[in-house]
Parts: sequence; C-alpha cells; structure tokens
Amino acid sequence: MARRHFKDNHIPFLLFVGLSSWFVPGGGYFVLNEKKRAAIVFITITITFCIGLYIGSIGVIDPLGSMPWYVAQTMNTPVVVILGQITKGGAYPVYGKPNEIGQIYTSISGLLNLLCIVNSVYTAYLRKIEPAGI
Amino acid sequence: MKTIFIILATFTKPENIGINPQSMLWLLPLTVAIAVVYKATKLPKIKAGNFIKESILLFGSIVVFMAITAFILYIFAWFTIG
Repeated sequence: MARRHFKDNHIPFLLFVGLSSWFVPGGGYFVLNEKKRAAIVFITITITFCIGLYIGSIGVIDPLGSMPWYVAQTMNTPVVVILGQITKGGAYPVYGKPNEIGQIYTSISGLLNLLCIVNSVYTAYLRKIEPAGI
Repeated sequence: MKTIFIILATFTKPENIGINPQSMLWLLPLTVAIAVVYKATKLPKIKAGNFIKESILLFGSIVVFMAITAFILYIFAWFTIG
C-alpha cells in the first residue's frame, strides 16, 4: 500500500518529464539534469525534422491524405499539429520522391523522439524508486 | 526580419530530387540520426570519445546490414525475374 502510494505521488512528475520531452525534443533529459544527452537529442532530432521539411516542404505534413505518417510526425512536437492545420487545405502540394523522403525523415525523427520520451520517463521512474531501495 | 522570411519560404516549396540511384544516398544522414539518438538513449554516461565510437560502430553496422540485404534481394530478383 505504501509502495503504491509512493508511485502515485510521482505520476505528475513522470507526466511532466514525458510532456517536456514531447514539447521540446530532449526536454525530458534536461529536466533530469542530463544536459549532454538533452543537447544531442535536441540537435539531432531537430536537424532531421528540418531536413525532412526542407526536402519535401511543410506539405509532407498531411493529416488528411497520409494519417499514419502524420501520427508519427506529431511525436516530434505539438507544433506539427499547428502545421497540419495550415497544410490541411492543400495549399502546399508535394509529390514523388521529395514527398517520400520528406515523410520518411519527419516520421523517423518523430519515432526517435518517441523513443526518447519513453526512455526519459523510464529513467525518471528508475531514479524515483532507487532511493526507496525497491 | 526579411532574412527570416526568406529562410521560412524555403520550407514551403519541395526540393527537386530525381528518381535515380544517387537518391538512395539520402538514407545516410537518416542512419546517422538513428545511430546518434539510439546511442544517446542507451549509453549510461555520455563521454565524447566513447559516444562517437559507439555511434560510428552502429552506423557502420546498419549500413553494412542494409548493403548485404540489398545485395541478397538483387541476386534473388536476378534469379527470379532475370
């Protein structure tokens, strides 16, 4: 019972770490004082995402035409949702190889950020239970 | 301010990338990103030398594995389709 209570108290913190990671890639590690890790993750994911947008334009974020890619892209940051609202009307058409490469880059960077979100939350969880000797 | 808008404008038009064998090279920067982020999540302590070495090893492993897979698929296609 005491153990359950201990974990319950830290759910808001884990949530905070996860959301920080989502809002800014590497943010969760930054909250956990892992500054080098945070910087590497932030720089790599941001550059990968920007390369994808540069190659295929913001048109590669297509919430209507390519939902599975869009779901992976939203893992980068909530800003993708805003971009999705802008591109929804079809004002930025993109086809062929640029579309393909752009979608792959932006989606893979999103999935990499998802890996970082899960890993930072798990690291925070381990740090919280380790002092208790569990 | 004008410079910022010019930079942002480059993100509104797609680049011209042809369908040729060279376009496969676009997988290399992506592989670097995957190797770097994966190692950043897995290494217990981030030290420049060790981190770079581990990332290069993973990058090399991925590229070699993909090359072997591509070669096997090419041989398979050559035997089946001609």
